[in-house]
Amino acid sequence: MMKARRWKASTVRKLEGTLFILPWAVGFLIFLAFPLVFSLYLSFHNLKVLPGQKIYEYVGLKHYKEILLNSSELYDSLIPFFQESLMMIPIILFFSFLISILLHQPLKGRAIFRMLFFLPVIFSTGYVLTEFVNQGEGSLGFLEQSGAGAVLDGWLGTGAWAGPIRSIIGKFVLVLWFSGVQILIFLAGRQTIGRSAYEAARIDGASGWETFWKITLPAMVPFIMLNLVYTVVDLFTFPFNPIIWLINDNLRSYGYNSAMAWIYFAMIVAFLMLVAALAWLVGRSARKPVYKRRIGA
Amino acid sequence: MIGKTMVNRVRAAREHAKLGRRLVLGRTAEEGLLFKLFLYFVFLSITYIYLHPLLKMVVKMLMNARDLMDPTVTWIPTVLYWGNLEVAWNALRYLESASISLSVALLAAGLHVLSCGLAGYALARLEFPFKRTVFALLLVSFIIPPQVIVLPTIMAFQALGLDGSLASLVIPAAFGFGTKGSLFIIIYRQFFLTQPKELEEAAKIDGATAFRFYTKVMFPLAKPAMIVVFLFSFVWTWNDTYLPRMFLAAAEHVPLAVKLSRMDQELEFFVKSAQLPVYLMESIKMAAGFLAILPPLLIYLFTQRYFVESVERTGLVE
Repeated sequence: MMKARRWKASTVRKLEGTLFILPWAVGFLIFLAFPLVFSLYLSFHNLKVLPGQKIYEYVGLKHYKEILLNSSELYDSLIPFFQESLMMIPIILFFSFLISILLHQPLKGRAIFRMLFFLPVIFSTGYVLTEFVNQGEGSLGFLEQSGAGAVLDGWLGTGAWAGPIRSIIGKFVLVLWFSGVQILIFLAGRQTIGRSAYEAARIDGASGWETFWKITLPAMVPFIMLNLVYTVVDLFTFPFNPIIWLINDNLRSYGYNSAMAWIYFAMIVAFLMLVAALAWLVGRSARKPVYKRRIGA
Repeated sequence: MIGKTMVNRVRAAREHAKLGRRLVLGRTAEEGLLFKLFLYFVFLSITYIYLHPLLKMVVKMLMNARDLMDPTVTWIPTVLYWGNLEVAWNALRYLESASISLSVALLAAGLHVLSCGLAGYALARLEFPFKRTVFALLLVSFIIPPQVIVLPTIMAFQALGLDGSLASLVIPAAFGFGTKGSLFIIIYRQFFLTQPKELEEAAKIDGATAFRFYTKVMFPLAKPAMIVVFLFSFVWTWNDTYLPRMFLAAAEHVPLAVKLSRMDQELEFFVKSAQLPVYLMESIKMAAGFLAILPPLLIYLFTQRYFVESVERTGLVE
């Protein structure tokens, strides 16, 4: 009797939990699982839309072969994009880390600066961003005025990295604009470091510089990793990157576009796995911090 | 006697100098006046670089054709010219498309607050089968670029008779999807994880059901998470140009984002057919961009204080 009751209670608990997650699960099936499977299916087919019906013709790996082996379209936009990302990610991380550390200093008017640095998240719509890039408003004006731009141009020459570097310099301010959420994460992360660690360091006579390297930085490593992942995802799912235009090219067939989307997705996953491996390596070598911390996500 | 006063004076002078130095340099570097001045300098210069495009945008949109042509006018227009704003306002049918955008964004944000809360709470505190798998799938849905699934989603909406309808932008939010839905679930989950477990145990002893406990205790507690999710969801839904353009390609009543890209095409056409000079097109585009970001900007300015505090209290990153 007792045993049956207890079993029932745990079933009830599981049922309740299931009810809570059910809306999401239904949404997952409709808005993610179905489109995902269907686009995979499409990528192996040719779709012919005739009045009143759709005909799916199996073509195997034809689209994949064409994209990967027979055309340079993908590589032409993918390689510069990856090069740009490789440069943008450290810039964004370094900038947001620096800002968040500075914002943590006790300073009058800190709240105003904090508000200002978060502003781009509010207004960086795709439209405004592309307009700024097109009209050259994203560049650092003083580079051109001081003539440093010309010197840099000559130095860069026409190597494989010259194009991406120029493009980054041309929209440098907008690159910084991608840092809003990252600054927020770093700020919140900085608050998880207890005061006592700093007090102890001070009593031991450590300078601010030493404290930064020995306490702040090691404690921030998990947040740097979190931001790294966030930045990668954010950049790669940003709807105005060049690959997206390829995927949405209306002149191509649905099947071809789906194959392109899947290749792109596979590359993102590969890139993220690389980042995760890196994070794991760094996490292993970093000294374990003194206080308890929990990383949920 | 004289020697003693001298010693005292020298000592006092030394003390004084030390005090002065302490004021300027500080006991540690972080406390000195010099360091503070340096910080202000860094902040002000970064703020200038950061906001430069925005300032340029406002200036450009308020210049008339003569100022735009005149190379000596860089920052301050000779007269405030509202014509660009007027053209953009009319071309966008601003009131109509802004209210469409507003209702879509408000609805999506409201639905996100409700649906993501449920899922986040389940993942943080409740038991259900395949919990680990669900969490893994959640992370997967976070990293999937919308481009991968957008074509079949359009086909699905067509099959449901929702293509070209504004509902296609709102309905996914009711299930915790839509613009960055997975991120909002993660935010809620992080918040609920930081709450004390004793609350639930007390409720269990009282015999309250999970649903009752959630609506009466946990959900009202989650105000910081709600604010963060609401504001993020509102702003991102408002700013999203990609999904509306894909879903509402041929619709007549469209949100601002779609209207903007249509206006763009019209302007390009006018420029190509030489009916409009390029510099005027740029100004009109800047005015349109300004109109597009104005509402979320106002909302942020009024709520930012509360918002930043909430971010710190959600345990977003713990």
